[in-house]
Amino acid sequence: MRFWRVIEPYIGFLLQGFALTIAACLLAIAGAVLLGALTASMRSSGNGLVRGFANAYGDLFRNVPFLVQLFFFFYGLPELGIYVGAFETGVIAMSIAGGAFVSDVILSGILTVDAGVIDAAKVSGLSRVKIFTRIVLPIAMRVSVRPMGSVLINLVLTSSILSTITVNELTGAAKIVAATTFKPFEVYAVLLVLYASLTTLLSFAISAVHHRLNRFMTEG
Amino acid sequence: MRYADFTPYDIILLLQGLGVTLALFIGTTLIGLAIGLMLAVVHHYRIPGCRPVIVIVTEALKNSPVLVQLFLVFFGIPAFLHIRMTPVEAATLTISLNTAAFAFVIFRSGIESVDRDQIDAAKVFGLNRSQILRLIIAPQATAFAVGPLVGILVNQLQVTSLISVIGVFDLTKIGNILNLRTLQPFIVWAVIGLIYYLAAKALAHVGGRIEAALRKSVKWGGI
Repeated sequence: MRFWRVIEPYIGFLLQGFALTIAACLLAIAGAVLLGALTASMRSSGNGLVRGFANAYGDLFRNVPFLVQLFFFFYGLPELGIYVGAFETGVIAMSIAGGAFVSDVILSGILTVDAGVIDAAKVSGLSRVKIFTRIVLPIAMRVSVRPMGSVLINLVLTSSILSTITVNELTGAAKIVAATTFKPFEVYAVLLVLYASLTTLLSFAISAVHHRLNRFMTEG
Repeated sequence: MRYADFTPYDIILLLQGLGVTLALFIGTTLIGLAIGLMLAVVHHYRIPGCRPVIVIVTEALKNSPVLVQLFLVFFGIPAFLHIRMTPVEAATLTISLNTAAFAFVIFRSGIESVDRDQIDAAKVFGLNRSQILRLIIAPQATAFAVGPLVGILVNQLQVTSLISVIGVFDLTKIGNILNLRTLQPFIVWAVIGLIYYLAAKALAHVGGRIEAALRKSVKWGGI
């Protein structure tokens, strides 16, 4: 109960932070999926230069700490004359970092579709768009839900790092509350439990979607 | 603006930062793997009451941001228990426990990957429980676990960058200092990123070789 007494006056403020976290994650996942899809198609391209470029992007952004990437954009973009707020910078950085992971998921999803299936669809006279939306996508989605879900969960956890560039999302808001109340233990313990519950709920939701999409499969 | 240029001394500064990052990474990895292994063995022996506690704690560590864990340990615990804690102590404690949580899951699945029949056969041969664990389960579980462990460790190397936020002078902190002094974020952060990238690649390379060596001994030779 002492935890609740510490947090209670600041619930509204923390909820604002939470809303910012959700907004950042939603925007970033949209950006990451767009960028990831583009990169995945570039990585399966016949042109070696295009393929190499896409591979280098994925490799680089998965092996450099997100904090370093974030600082690069946060301090670097104004140098280029691009003045965007800290929140926008955070979303851009999360999208670019997330895109590197999403491209892996999408690529491996597309690669699981058997070439014979596509040939069969062609022979049946389906158009290219139909083949993609009705044949390739459903099969690819089936295997991609879980890995895509873990990318999403990672993005939620990563969003806490935005607090280092003055974005007052959930962690940033909690930092302010901890500094105001002088009760850092209570505040951060609640925050940790909150994040853990949020991501656990997310992973349950992802499992449910996975089972729903795989309901006609005999196993898995 | 006299001090705004890069100086040769900056290279020493970078090396110092890299040293702190690597030392902390290696230290926390060793502690984390040891704790993770211990938890997996305790979990395997089904000591009453331990299983749910271990699972809940490791899941909480895996499913919450490391930054929040760092804040909890560095700001929260000293305020709560009225003790002093240096940034390095807090960083070591947090990252070790975080690595332990991931290592536990990998070791547990490694142990569970060993076929039940083998354990039954070993029992029939008269091996006791610790012999079974050491001679039958451990070698196979290790070979199974090395691949995922290398993946986690490459990730943990990047996670160590977060300790700069609580004031440890690691590579990222050095980047912050150079960035503020020279005001050349593109060069500074590109160099810092490149160093992390090379370290991650080197780690993955070494891990790959260890995995190949271990897998060779367990490869199914056929009859």
